[in-house]
Amino acid sequence: MAEQAATAPTPRRFGAVNWRGLWSLYHRNVVRFFRFGIEQLGGPAVSSLLFLAVFDLALGGGRETAPGVTLSQFIAPGIVMISMIHSAFENAAAYIVYDKLDGMIGDILSAPLKPAEIVAGFALSAATSALCTGAVVLLLMSLFVELPVHSPAAVLGFALAAALLFAFFGTIVGLWADRWDNYSAAETFLILPLGLLSGAFFPLQAVAPEFRWIFEINPVFHAVEGFRYGFTGQAQGAVAGTAAILALLTLALALLSWRLVAVGYKLKA
Amino acid sequence: MSTDMDSSSFSRTPPSPRMIGAIHWRGLWTLYLKEVRRFLSVSTQTLMAPVVTGLLFLAIFALALGGAGRQTAGVDYIAFLAPGLIMMALMQNAFANTSSSIVISKLQGNIVDVLMPPLSSAELTLGIAGGGITRGLIVALAAGLGMWVFVPLRLHDPLAVLFYAVNAAMMLSLLGIIGGIWAERFDHISAVTNFIITPLSFLSGTFYSIERLPEDWRFIAHFNPFFHLIDGFRYGFIGHADGSLAVGAVVVLVVNILLWAVTHRMFVTGYHLRP
Repeated sequence: MAEQAATAPTPRRFGAVNWRGLWSLYHRNVVRFFRFGIEQLGGPAVSSLLFLAVFDLALGGGRETAPGVTLSQFIAPGIVMISMIHSAFENAAAYIVYDKLDGMIGDILSAPLKPAEIVAGFALSAATSALCTGAVVLLLMSLFVELPVHSPAAVLGFALAAALLFAFFGTIVGLWADRWDNYSAAETFLILPLGLLSGAFFPLQAVAPEFRWIFEINPVFHAVEGFRYGFTGQAQGAVAGTAAILALLTLALALLSWRLVAVGYKLKA
Repeated sequence: MSTDMDSSSFSRTPPSPRMIGAIHWRGLWTLYLKEVRRFLSVSTQTLMAPVVTGLLFLAIFALALGGAGRQTAGVDYIAFLAPGLIMMALMQNAFANTSSSIVISKLQGNIVDVLMPPLSSAELTLGIAGGGITRGLIVALAAGLGMWVFVPLRLHDPLAVLFYAVNAAMMLSLLGIIGGIWAERFDHISAVTNFIITPLSFLSGTFYSIERLPEDWRFIAHFNPFFHLIDGFRYGFIGHADGSLAVGAVVVLVVNILLWAVTHRMFVTGYHLRP
Protein backbone atom coordinates (compact mmCIF):
# COMPACT_ATOMS: atom_id res chain seq x y z
CA MET A 1 0.00 0.00 0.00
CA ALA A 2 2.68 2.44 1.01
CA GLU A 3 4.48 2.02 -2.35
CA GLN A 4 1.49 3.30 -4.26
CA ALA A 5 1.09 6.51 -2.33
CA ALA A 6 3.85 9.02 -2.88
CA THR A 7 3.76 10.04 0.70
CA ALA A 8 2.13 7.82 3.27
CA PRO A 9 -0.61 9.63 5.16
CA THR A 10 0.73 10.78 8.44
CA PRO A 11 -0.95 9.07 11.37
CA ARG A 12 -3.44 11.24 13.18
CA ARG A 13 -2.03 12.87 16.24
CA PHE A 14 -3.96 13.10 19.44
CA GLY A 15 -3.19 15.24 22.40
CA ALA A 16 -3.77 13.97 25.89
CA VAL A 17 -7.51 13.87 25.13
CA ASN A 18 -9.12 12.89 21.83
CA TRP A 19 -11.47 15.84 21.88
CA ARG A 20 -13.01 15.20 18.53
CA GLY A 21 -13.76 11.55 19.38
CA LEU A 22 -15.19 12.46 22.75
CA TRP A 23 -17.36 15.15 21.16
CA SER A 24 -18.59 12.71 18.49
CA LEU A 25 -19.70 10.15 21.06
CA TYR A 26 -21.30 12.82 23.25
CA HIS A 27 -23.02 14.46 20.32
CA ARG A 28 -24.37 11.15 18.99
CA ASN A 29 -26.04 10.32 22.28
CA VAL A 30 -27.52 13.77 22.75
CA VAL A 31 -28.94 13.66 19.22
CA ARG A 32 -30.42 10.27 20.06
CA PHE A 33 -32.15 11.82 23.04
CA PHE A 34 -33.64 14.71 21.10
CA ARG A 35 -34.75 12.53 18.22
CA PHE A 36 -37.42 11.17 20.56
CA GLY A 37 -37.88 14.56 22.18
CA ILE A 38 -41.65 14.43 22.63
CA GLU A 39 -41.48 11.08 24.32
CA GLN A 40 -38.28 11.76 26.27
CA LEU A 41 -39.36 15.16 27.58
CA GLY A 42 -43.14 14.81 27.37
CA GLY A 43 -43.35 11.57 29.35
CA PRO A 44 -41.54 12.87 32.46
CA ALA A 45 -43.29 16.23 32.12
CA VAL A 46 -46.75 14.67 32.20
CA SER A 47 -46.00 12.21 34.97
CA SER A 48 -44.45 14.99 37.09
CA LEU A 49 -47.52 17.14 36.72
CA LEU A 50 -49.68 14.15 37.62
CA PHE A 51 -47.70 13.61 40.80
CA LEU A 52 -48.09 17.26 41.71
CA ALA A 53 -51.84 17.23 40.96
CA VAL A 54 -52.44 14.03 42.89
CA PHE A 55 -50.56 15.16 45.99
CA ASP A 56 -52.20 18.52 45.83
CA LEU A 57 -55.71 17.04 45.63
CA ALA A 58 -55.22 14.09 47.94
CA LEU A 59 -53.26 15.78 50.70
CA GLY A 60 -54.03 19.46 50.34
CA GLY A 61 -51.12 21.22 48.63
CA GLY A 62 -51.70 24.46 50.46
CA ARG A 63 -50.97 23.23 53.97
CA GLU A 64 -47.54 24.04 55.33
CA THR A 65 -44.96 21.32 55.91
CA ALA A 66 -42.46 23.76 57.39
CA PRO A 67 -42.83 27.43 58.31
CA GLY A 68 -43.40 29.34 55.08
CA VAL A 69 -43.16 26.26 52.85
CA THR A 70 -46.35 24.72 51.47
CA LEU A 71 -46.63 21.05 50.65
CA SER A 72 -46.57 21.86 46.93
CA GLN A 73 -43.38 23.90 47.33
CA PHE A 74 -41.92 21.07 49.35
CA ILE A 75 -42.58 18.31 46.83
CA ALA A 76 -42.03 20.20 43.54
CA PRO A 77 -38.20 20.16 43.79
CA GLY A 78 -38.35 16.49 44.75
CA ILE A 79 -40.39 15.64 41.67
CA VAL A 80 -37.94 17.54 39.45
CA MET A 81 -35.05 15.64 41.03
CA ILE A 82 -36.72 12.26 40.55
CA SER A 83 -37.36 12.94 36.88
CA MET A 84 -33.71 13.99 36.48
CA ILE A 85 -32.19 10.90 38.07
CA HIS A 86 -34.52 8.72 36.08
CA SER A 87 -33.57 10.42 32.84
CA ALA A 88 -29.83 10.26 33.64
CA PHE A 89 -30.02 6.56 34.41
CA GLU A 90 -32.14 5.77 31.38
CA ASN A 91 -30.04 7.72 28.90
CA ALA A 92 -26.80 6.09 29.99
CA ALA A 93 -27.97 2.52 30.62
CA ALA A 94 -30.45 2.11 27.79
CA TYR A 95 -28.07 3.37 25.11
CA ILE A 96 -25.26 1.08 26.27
CA VAL A 97 -27.59 -1.94 26.37
CA TYR A 98 -28.93 -0.99 22.96
CA ASP A 99 -25.42 -0.63 21.52
CA LYS A 100 -24.36 -3.94 23.05
CA LEU A 101 -27.37 -5.89 21.81
CA ASP A 102 -27.14 -4.37 18.34
CA GLY A 103 -23.41 -5.00 18.17
CA MET A 104 -22.70 -1.31 17.65
CA ILE A 105 -20.55 -1.19 20.75
CA GLY A 106 -17.72 -2.56 18.59
CA ASP A 107 -17.69 0.68 16.63
CA ILE A 108 -17.08 2.57 19.83
CA LEU A 109 -14.50 0.19 21.27
CA SER A 110 -12.46 0.12 18.08
CA ALA A 111 -12.42 3.90 17.74
CA PRO A 112 -9.32 5.61 19.14
CA LEU A 113 -11.03 6.44 22.41
CA LYS A 114 -9.53 5.75 25.80
CA PRO A 115 -11.77 4.07 28.42
CA ALA A 116 -12.06 7.36 30.26
CA GLU A 117 -13.26 9.06 27.08
CA ILE A 118 -15.86 6.35 26.41
CA VAL A 119 -17.22 6.65 29.94
CA ALA A 120 -17.20 10.44 29.73
CA GLY A 121 -18.98 10.38 26.38
CA PHE A 122 -21.83 8.24 27.69
CA ALA A 123 -22.10 9.78 31.14
CA LEU A 124 -21.86 13.43 30.08
CA SER A 125 -24.47 13.00 27.35
CA ALA A 126 -26.81 11.26 29.80
CA ALA A 127 -26.27 14.04 32.34
CA THR A 128 -27.02 16.64 29.66
CA SER A 129 -30.26 14.87 28.76
CA ALA A 130 -31.16 14.72 32.44
CA LEU A 131 -30.55 18.43 32.93
CA CYS A 132 -32.72 19.22 29.89
CA THR A 133 -35.49 17.02 31.30
CA GLY A 134 -35.12 18.68 34.69
CA ALA A 135 -35.30 22.15 33.17
CA VAL A 136 -38.50 21.33 31.27
CA VAL A 137 -40.13 19.76 34.33
CA LEU A 138 -39.06 22.67 36.52
CA LEU A 139 -40.51 25.20 34.07
CA LEU A 140 -43.82 23.34 34.02
CA MET A 141 -43.90 23.08 37.81
CA SER A 142 -43.27 26.80 38.18
CA LEU A 143 -46.46 27.47 36.24
CA PHE A 144 -48.46 25.91 39.08
CA VAL A 145 -46.28 26.33 42.15
CA GLU A 146 -44.56 29.47 43.30
CA LEU A 147 -40.88 28.51 43.45
CA PRO A 148 -38.62 31.31 44.65
CA VAL A 149 -34.95 30.48 44.18
CA HIS A 150 -32.99 30.93 47.38
CA SER A 151 -29.60 29.82 46.14
CA PRO A 152 -29.05 29.34 42.38
CA ALA A 153 -25.65 27.76 43.11
CA ALA A 154 -27.23 25.03 45.21
CA VAL A 155 -29.93 24.40 42.61
CA LEU A 156 -27.41 24.05 39.79
CA GLY A 157 -24.77 22.24 41.83
CA PHE A 158 -27.09 19.58 43.21
CA ALA A 159 -28.82 19.10 39.85
CA LEU A 160 -25.44 18.55 38.20
CA ALA A 161 -24.19 16.22 40.93
CA ALA A 162 -27.33 14.06 40.86
CA ALA A 163 -27.38 13.94 37.06
CA LEU A 164 -23.74 12.86 36.95
CA LEU A 165 -24.14 10.37 39.79
CA PHE A 166 -26.98 8.56 38.08
CA ALA A 167 -25.36 8.86 34.66
CA PHE A 168 -22.37 6.94 36.02
CA PHE A 169 -24.68 4.52 37.78
CA GLY A 170 -26.56 4.01 34.52
CA THR A 171 -23.26 3.41 32.74
CA ILE A 172 -22.39 0.65 35.20
CA VAL A 173 -25.84 -0.94 34.91
CA GLY A 174 -25.62 -0.70 31.13
CA LEU A 175 -22.30 -2.52 31.15
CA TRP A 176 -23.60 -5.17 33.53
CA ALA A 177 -26.96 -5.86 31.82
CA ASP A 178 -26.97 -8.69 29.29
CA ARG A 179 -30.62 -8.31 28.32
CA TRP A 180 -33.39 -5.73 28.47
CA ASP A 181 -34.82 -7.72 31.33
CA ASN A 182 -31.76 -6.94 33.46
CA TYR A 183 -32.07 -3.28 32.62
CA SER A 184 -35.71 -3.07 33.62
CA ALA A 185 -35.03 -5.07 36.79
CA ALA A 186 -32.47 -2.42 37.80
CA GLU A 187 -34.98 0.29 36.97
CA THR A 188 -37.82 -1.31 38.93
CA PHE A 189 -35.93 -2.51 41.97
CA LEU A 190 -33.32 0.26 42.33
CA ILE A 191 -34.13 3.49 40.54
CA LEU A 192 -37.86 3.53 41.28
CA PRO A 193 -37.56 2.81 45.03
CA LEU A 194 -34.54 5.12 45.41
CA GLY A 195 -36.56 7.89 43.79
CA LEU A 196 -39.88 7.39 45.53
CA LEU A 197 -38.41 6.63 48.97
CA SER A 198 -36.13 9.64 48.90
CA GLY A 199 -38.06 12.02 51.09
CA ALA A 200 -39.19 13.89 48.00
CA PHE A 201 -42.78 13.77 49.20
CA PHE A 202 -42.59 14.04 52.96
CA PRO A 203 -40.23 15.37 55.62
CA LEU A 204 -38.00 12.87 57.37
CA GLN A 205 -39.84 13.56 60.65
CA ALA A 206 -42.80 11.63 59.22
CA VAL A 207 -40.72 8.48 59.30
CA ALA A 208 -40.39 6.45 62.48
CA PRO A 209 -36.87 7.03 63.93
CA GLU A 210 -35.87 3.38 63.57
CA PHE A 211 -36.45 3.52 59.80
CA ARG A 212 -34.78 6.86 59.09
CA TRP A 213 -31.47 5.21 58.21
CA ILE A 214 -33.17 3.80 55.08
CA PHE A 215 -33.50 7.35 53.85
CA GLU A 216 -30.18 8.58 55.13
CA ILE A 217 -28.24 5.98 53.15
CA ASN A 218 -30.18 6.85 49.98
CA PRO A 219 -28.13 9.22 47.81
CA VAL A 220 -31.32 10.57 46.22
CA PHE A 221 -32.44 11.71 49.66
CA HIS A 222 -29.33 13.90 49.89
CA ALA A 223 -29.74 15.14 46.34
CA VAL A 224 -33.36 16.10 47.00
CA GLU A 225 -32.41 17.76 50.28
CA GLY A 226 -29.75 19.92 48.70
CA PHE A 227 -31.80 20.72 45.63
CA ARG A 228 -34.81 21.71 47.72
CA TYR A 229 -32.58 23.86 49.93
CA GLY A 230 -31.70 25.79 46.78
CA PHE A 231 -35.36 26.79 46.49
CA THR A 232 -36.72 27.03 50.01
CA GLY A 233 -33.54 27.90 51.87
CA GLN A 234 -34.46 25.30 54.47
CA ALA A 235 -32.76 21.99 54.99
CA GLN A 236 -33.22 19.30 57.58
CA GLY A 237 -29.49 18.56 57.72
CA ALA A 238 -26.20 20.22 56.84
CA VAL A 239 -26.09 21.16 53.16
CA ALA A 240 -22.29 21.14 52.95
CA GLY A 241 -22.13 17.58 54.27
CA THR A 242 -24.78 16.54 51.78
CA ALA A 243 -22.78 18.03 48.93
CA ALA A 244 -19.62 16.25 50.07
CA ILE A 245 -21.39 12.87 50.24
CA LEU A 246 -22.77 13.29 46.73
CA ALA A 247 -19.45 14.43 45.29
CA LEU A 248 -17.58 11.49 46.82
CA LEU A 249 -20.18 9.00 45.63
CA THR A 250 -20.13 10.44 42.11
CA LEU A 251 -16.34 10.20 42.06
CA ALA A 252 -16.46 6.59 43.27
CA LEU A 253 -18.94 5.55 40.60
CA ALA A 254 -16.97 7.43 37.93
CA LEU A 255 -13.84 5.50 38.92
CA LEU A 256 -15.72 2.21 38.97
CA SER A 257 -17.22 2.72 35.52
CA TRP A 258 -13.82 3.78 34.18
CA ARG A 259 -12.25 0.59 35.59
CA LEU A 260 -15.02 -1.57 34.13
CA VAL A 261 -14.51 -0.15 30.64
CA ALA A 262 -10.71 -0.31 31.04
CA VAL A 263 -10.75 -4.05 31.85
CA GLY A 264 -13.43 -4.61 29.18
CA TYR A 265 -16.02 -6.02 31.61
CA LYS A 266 -18.69 -7.69 29.44
CA LEU A 267 -17.39 -5.65 26.52
CA LYS A 268 -14.36 -7.50 25.20
CA ALA A 269 -14.08 -11.24 24.77
CA MET B 1 -59.28 -26.02 -2.95
CA SER B 2 -57.37 -28.86 -1.35
CA THR B 3 -57.87 -31.06 -4.44
CA ASP B 4 -55.48 -28.79 -6.37
CA MET B 5 -52.62 -29.52 -4.04
CA ASP B 6 -49.64 -31.64 -5.08
CA SER B 7 -50.37 -34.30 -2.54
CA SER B 8 -53.46 -35.39 -4.48
CA SER B 9 -51.30 -37.03 -7.13
CA PHE B 10 -49.63 -39.23 -4.52
CA SER B 11 -52.45 -40.27 -2.28
CA ARG B 12 -55.64 -41.78 -3.54
CA THR B 13 -57.83 -39.88 -1.18
CA PRO B 14 -56.88 -36.28 -0.51
CA PRO B 15 -56.83 -35.37 3.18
CA SER B 16 -60.19 -34.06 4.13
CA PRO B 17 -60.11 -30.38 5.07
CA ARG B 18 -60.22 -29.70 8.75
CA MET B 19 -63.68 -29.04 10.02
CA ILE B 20 -64.03 -26.04 12.26
CA GLY B 21 -67.23 -25.61 14.19
CA ALA B 22 -68.94 -22.34 14.92
CA ILE B 23 -66.04 -21.45 17.18
CA HIS B 24 -62.47 -22.48 16.45
CA TRP B 25 -61.72 -23.51 20.01
CA ARG B 26 -58.22 -24.83 19.45
CA GLY B 27 -57.10 -21.73 17.54
CA LEU B 28 -58.63 -19.45 20.11
CA TRP B 29 -56.95 -21.33 22.95
CA THR B 30 -53.59 -21.27 21.14
CA LEU B 31 -53.78 -17.53 20.57
CA TYR B 32 -54.77 -16.95 24.20
CA LEU B 33 -51.92 -19.15 25.41
CA LYS B 34 -49.45 -17.28 23.22
CA GLU B 35 -50.59 -13.97 24.70
CA VAL B 36 -50.30 -15.27 28.26
CA ARG B 37 -46.90 -16.91 27.77
CA ARG B 38 -45.66 -13.70 26.22
CA PHE B 39 -45.99 -11.77 29.48
CA LEU B 40 -45.14 -14.70 31.75
CA SER B 41 -41.71 -15.06 30.13
CA VAL B 42 -40.77 -11.53 31.26
CA SER B 43 -42.62 -11.60 34.56
CA THR B 44 -40.12 -9.26 36.26
CA GLN B 45 -41.33 -6.46 34.03
CA THR B 46 -44.93 -7.50 33.65
CA LEU B 47 -45.94 -8.76 37.09
CA MET B 48 -43.29 -7.84 39.67
CA ALA B 49 -42.77 -4.25 38.55
CA PRO B 50 -46.40 -3.15 38.93
CA VAL B 51 -46.64 -4.76 42.37
CA VAL B 52 -43.48 -2.98 43.55
CA THR B 53 -44.73 0.31 42.13
CA GLY B 54 -48.09 -0.07 43.87
CA LEU B 55 -46.48 -0.80 47.22
CA LEU B 56 -44.13 2.17 46.85
CA PHE B 57 -47.06 4.47 46.15
CA LEU B 58 -48.81 3.13 49.21
CA ALA B 59 -45.70 3.75 51.29
CA ILE B 60 -45.13 7.33 50.17
CA PHE B 61 -48.74 8.31 50.63
CA ALA B 62 -48.84 6.72 54.06
CA LEU B 63 -45.68 8.59 55.03
CA ALA B 64 -46.66 11.88 53.42
CA LEU B 65 -49.83 11.87 55.47
CA GLY B 66 -47.76 11.67 58.61
CA GLY B 67 -49.45 8.66 60.13
CA ALA B 68 -53.00 7.65 60.81
CA GLY B 69 -56.04 9.69 61.61
CA ARG B 70 -56.94 11.12 58.23
CA GLN B 71 -60.29 9.93 56.94
CA THR B 72 -61.55 9.88 53.38
CA ALA B 73 -65.05 8.70 52.52
CA GLY B 74 -65.51 7.50 56.08
CA VAL B 75 -62.51 5.17 56.18
CA ASP B 76 -58.79 5.52 56.87
CA TYR B 77 -57.13 7.15 53.89
CA ILE B 78 -54.86 4.14 53.35
CA ALA B 79 -57.85 1.78 53.18
CA PHE B 80 -59.36 4.20 50.67
CA LEU B 81 -56.16 4.38 48.64
CA ALA B 82 -55.29 0.68 48.40
CA PRO B 83 -58.19 -0.38 46.12
CA GLY B 84 -57.47 2.62 43.89
CA LEU B 85 -53.85 1.58 43.51
CA ILE B 86 -54.83 -2.02 42.74
CA MET B 87 -57.20 -0.78 40.07
CA MET B 88 -54.59 1.55 38.62
CA ALA B 89 -52.09 -1.31 38.28
CA LEU B 90 -54.75 -3.52 36.72
CA MET B 91 -55.72 -0.93 34.13
CA GLN B 92 -52.20 0.08 33.12
CA ASN B 93 -51.10 -3.54 32.71
CA ALA B 94 -54.14 -4.72 30.78
CA PHE B 95 -53.56 -1.85 28.36
CA ALA B 96 -49.81 -2.43 28.15
CA ASN B 97 -50.25 -6.12 27.37
CA THR B 98 -52.51 -5.92 24.34
CA SER B 99 -51.07 -2.69 22.93
CA SER B 100 -47.45 -3.83 23.11
CA SER B 101 -48.31 -7.25 21.73
CA ILE B 102 -49.92 -5.82 18.63
CA VAL B 103 -47.41 -3.03 18.02
CA ILE B 104 -44.43 -5.37 18.40
CA SER B 105 -46.08 -7.97 16.12
CA LYS B 106 -46.75 -5.32 13.52
CA LEU B 107 -43.24 -3.88 13.64
CA GLN B 108 -41.59 -7.30 13.54
CA GLY B 109 -43.94 -8.48 10.82
CA ASN B 110 -45.19 -11.53 12.67
CA ILE B 111 -48.72 -10.14 12.86
CA VAL B 112 -49.37 -12.20 9.71
CA ASP B 113 -48.94 -15.33 11.82
CA VAL B 114 -51.94 -14.17 13.81
CA LEU B 115 -53.98 -12.93 10.84
CA MET B 116 -53.37 -15.92 8.52
CA PRO B 117 -54.71 -18.79 10.64
CA PRO B 118 -58.40 -19.65 10.37
CA LEU B 119 -59.44 -17.34 13.18
CA SER B 120 -62.44 -15.10 12.86
CA SER B 121 -62.32 -11.45 13.88
CA ALA B 122 -64.30 -12.26 16.99
CA GLU B 123 -61.84 -14.99 17.92
CA LEU B 124 -58.88 -12.67 17.37
CA THR B 125 -60.47 -10.06 19.61
CA LEU B 126 -61.29 -12.58 22.29
CA GLY B 127 -57.90 -14.31 22.22
CA ILE B 128 -55.82 -11.14 22.39
CA ALA B 129 -58.09 -9.37 24.87
CA GLY B 130 -58.07 -12.55 26.97
CA GLY B 131 -54.31 -12.25 27.40
CA GLY B 132 -54.62 -8.65 28.57
CA ILE B 133 -57.49 -9.46 30.91
CA THR B 134 -55.49 -12.30 32.43
CA ARG B 135 -52.46 -10.10 33.03
CA GLY B 136 -54.60 -7.34 34.52
CA LEU B 137 -56.30 -9.73 36.92
CA ILE B 138 -53.05 -11.46 37.95
CA VAL B 139 -51.41 -8.08 38.62
CA ALA B 140 -54.44 -6.96 40.63
CA LEU B 141 -54.42 -10.14 42.69
CA ALA B 142 -50.68 -9.92 43.35
CA ALA B 143 -50.86 -6.21 44.21
CA GLY B 144 -53.87 -6.86 46.43
CA LEU B 145 -52.10 -9.63 48.33
CA GLY B 146 -49.00 -7.44 48.68
CA MET B 147 -51.02 -4.55 50.11
CA TRP B 148 -53.09 -6.78 52.32
CA VAL B 149 -49.92 -7.40 54.36
CA PHE B 150 -49.84 -3.71 55.30
CA VAL B 151 -53.44 -2.55 55.00
CA PRO B 152 -56.45 -4.33 56.47
CA LEU B 153 -58.42 -4.89 53.26
CA ARG B 154 -61.89 -6.25 53.86
CA LEU B 155 -64.15 -7.48 51.11
CA HIS B 156 -67.47 -5.73 51.54
CA ASP B 157 -68.99 -6.99 48.29
CA PRO B 158 -66.92 -9.61 46.43
CA LEU B 159 -69.30 -9.53 43.48
CA ALA B 160 -68.71 -5.84 42.89
CA VAL B 161 -64.97 -6.38 43.15
CA LEU B 162 -65.12 -9.14 40.56
CA PHE B 163 -67.50 -7.29 38.25
CA TYR B 164 -65.43 -4.10 38.17
CA ALA B 165 -62.08 -5.90 38.00
CA VAL B 166 -63.12 -7.99 35.01
CA ASN B 167 -64.78 -5.08 33.25
CA ALA B 168 -61.82 -2.78 33.84
CA ALA B 169 -59.40 -5.39 32.52
CA MET B 170 -61.66 -5.89 29.51
CA MET B 171 -62.05 -2.18 28.79
CA LEU B 172 -58.34 -1.48 28.92
CA SER B 173 -57.43 -4.61 26.96
CA LEU B 174 -59.79 -3.57 24.19
CA LEU B 175 -58.47 0.00 24.27
CA GLY B 176 -54.98 -1.50 24.03
CA ILE B 177 -55.94 -3.48 20.94
CA ILE B 178 -57.48 -0.41 19.33
CA GLY B 179 -54.43 1.70 20.20
CA GLY B 180 -52.05 -1.00 19.04
CA ILE B 181 -53.78 -1.38 15.70
CA TRP B 182 -53.89 2.36 15.19
CA ALA B 183 -50.24 2.97 16.12
CA GLU B 184 -47.71 2.83 13.32
CA ARG B 185 -44.60 3.27 15.40
CA PHE B 186 -43.60 2.61 18.96
CA ASP B 187 -43.72 6.27 19.95
CA HIS B 188 -47.35 6.46 18.91
CA ILE B 189 -48.35 3.92 21.49
CA SER B 190 -46.12 5.34 24.18
CA ALA B 191 -47.69 8.72 23.52
CA VAL B 192 -51.14 7.19 24.06
CA THR B 193 -49.89 5.54 27.27
CA ASN B 194 -48.17 8.68 28.58
CA PHE B 195 -50.73 11.27 27.59
CA ILE B 196 -54.05 9.42 27.85
CA ILE B 197 -54.00 6.17 29.81
CA THR B 198 -51.65 7.18 32.64
CA PRO B 199 -53.32 10.56 33.29
CA LEU B 200 -56.79 9.02 33.20
CA SER B 201 -55.81 6.25 35.59
CA PHE B 202 -54.16 8.79 37.94
CA LEU B 203 -56.82 11.46 37.93
CA SER B 204 -60.00 9.38 38.05
CA GLY B 205 -60.24 9.14 41.79
CA THR B 206 -57.41 6.71 42.53
CA PHE B 207 -55.88 8.95 45.15
CA TYR B 208 -58.71 11.19 46.32
CA SER B 209 -62.44 11.29 46.69
CA ILE B 210 -63.93 13.33 43.86
CA GLU B 211 -65.70 15.40 46.50
CA ARG B 212 -62.38 17.25 46.70
CA LEU B 213 -62.75 18.37 43.10
CA PRO B 214 -64.42 21.67 42.15
CA GLU B 215 -68.12 21.39 41.29
CA ASP B 216 -67.70 21.42 37.47
CA TRP B 217 -64.99 18.80 37.52
CA ARG B 218 -67.08 16.53 39.70
CA PHE B 219 -69.82 16.67 37.09
CA ILE B 220 -67.38 15.79 34.31
CA ALA B 221 -65.99 12.89 36.36
CA HIS B 222 -69.33 11.10 36.10
CA PHE B 223 -68.84 10.80 32.34
CA ASN B 224 -65.40 9.26 32.81
CA PRO B 225 -65.68 5.45 32.65
CA PHE B 226 -62.36 5.12 34.50
CA PHE B 227 -63.90 6.95 37.44
CA HIS B 228 -66.78 4.46 37.57
CA LEU B 229 -64.38 1.52 37.38
CA ILE B 230 -62.29 2.76 40.29
CA ASP B 231 -65.30 3.93 42.30
CA GLY B 232 -67.19 0.65 41.90
CA PHE B 233 -64.13 -1.46 42.62
CA ARG B 234 -63.43 0.55 45.76
CA TYR B 235 -67.07 0.18 46.82
CA GLY B 236 -66.48 -3.59 46.82
CA PHE B 237 -63.91 -3.06 49.57
CA ILE B 238 -65.03 -0.14 51.69
CA GLY B 239 -68.78 -0.17 51.02
CA HIS B 240 -68.91 3.48 49.99
CA ALA B 241 -69.15 4.87 46.46
CA ASP B 242 -68.78 8.49 45.38
CA GLY B 243 -71.04 8.06 42.38
CA SER B 244 -74.09 5.96 41.67
CA LEU B 245 -73.30 2.25 41.32
CA ALA B 246 -76.20 1.62 38.96
CA VAL B 247 -75.11 4.40 36.61
CA GLY B 248 -71.54 3.15 36.89
CA ALA B 249 -72.43 -0.40 35.95
CA VAL B 250 -74.45 0.74 32.95
CA VAL B 251 -71.72 3.12 31.73
CA VAL B 252 -69.06 0.43 32.08
CA LEU B 253 -71.10 -2.21 30.26
CA VAL B 254 -72.11 0.13 27.44
CA VAL B 255 -68.53 1.29 26.93
CA ASN B 256 -67.30 -2.29 26.85
CA ILE B 257 -69.90 -3.36 24.30
CA LEU B 258 -68.96 -0.38 22.12
CA LEU B 259 -65.28 -1.20 22.40
CA TRP B 260 -65.92 -4.85 21.47
CA ALA B 261 -67.80 -3.67 18.40
CA VAL B 262 -65.05 -1.23 17.37
CA THR B 263 -62.26 -3.78 17.89
CA HIS B 264 -64.18 -6.45 16.01
CA ARG B 265 -64.81 -4.02 13.17
CA MET B 266 -61.11 -3.15 12.98
CA PHE B 267 -60.19 -6.80 12.53
CA VAL B 268 -62.96 -7.29 9.97
CA THR B 269 -61.89 -4.35 7.81
CA GLY B 270 -58.18 -4.92 8.41
CA TYR B 271 -57.66 -1.26 9.37
CA HIS B 272 -53.87 -0.63 9.67
CA LEU B 273 -53.40 -4.41 9.62
CA ARG B 274 -53.76 -5.43 6.01
CA PRO B 275 -52.59 -3.40 3.02
